[in-house]
Amino acid sequence: MKILAVCQSGLGTSFMVQMNIQAILKAEKVDTSGIELDHSDVGSATADAADYFFVESTLADAVASLPKDRTVLLKSLIDKEETKAHVNDILDKEGIQYTAE
Amino acid sequence: MLDLLNTKTLQVADGLGLSWEAAIKLAARPLVNSKTIEPAYVESIIDVVKDKGTYMNIGPLIVLAHARPSSAVHGIGLSLLKTNSPVNFVDAEHPVKLWFVLTATDSHSHLGVIQQLMELLTNKEAVKEVLEARTVHQILMILKSIES
Repeated sequence: MKILAVCQSGLGTSFMVQMNIQAILKAEKVDTSGIELDHSDVGSATADAADYFFVESTLADAVASLPKDRTVLLKSLIDKEETKAHVNDILDKEGIQYTAE
Repeated sequence: MLDLLNTKTLQVADGLGLSWEAAIKLAARPLVNSKTIEPAYVESIIDVVKDKGTYMNIGPLIVLAHARPSSAVHGIGLSLLKTNSPVNFVDAEHPVKLWFVLTATDSHSHLGVIQQLMELLTNKEAVKEVLEARTVHQILMILKSIES
């Protein structure tokens, strides 16, 4: 499974989101051997680039071409609880085990 | 992060009557003064906001102002302006009190800075304290306390 964090420039904020997801997976003791994390800019994020996309909500229009059911729109990029809820949803959907804190 | 956020790059201002453009320019001034960036970089940030909207408002009351690496950037830099009054970032739905400016010379070298910045920003207690800080010294103390 691949999760891609996407932002306007692919420079800063997408990496922040990627790091947050990474930290959450680690804290939840998830086996990440089958999980790939990366970040990119909106321009290079295509529907087949990943299984799930994390995007800041004001960029919703810019990522309209990405499948809605696989795209997470984040209200705050620094709210770990919000990111965690979405990560857990995906883990549930994919049947991947995690330790809820 | 403390080596990038110091008495030279931290500022506290009132914020009353400030436009968001002026807030970003003021926040970036230390980096212009230290020749880390040219004023053109600040203009490109403002242009991106006008063109793409408020996505740099990365969390409540926080803006991370940045643009792509260009010839107007000479080094990795970070500065922070705290306005005691919130300034509307583009519109009233996006009030902001913490104005970070991040500069990068390529798409990799600044990732360590972002990592450290995230340690601060995901620490709700520390962010609350910085939002309440009234002096540069107080902000420095908060940064020091989360680093240890």
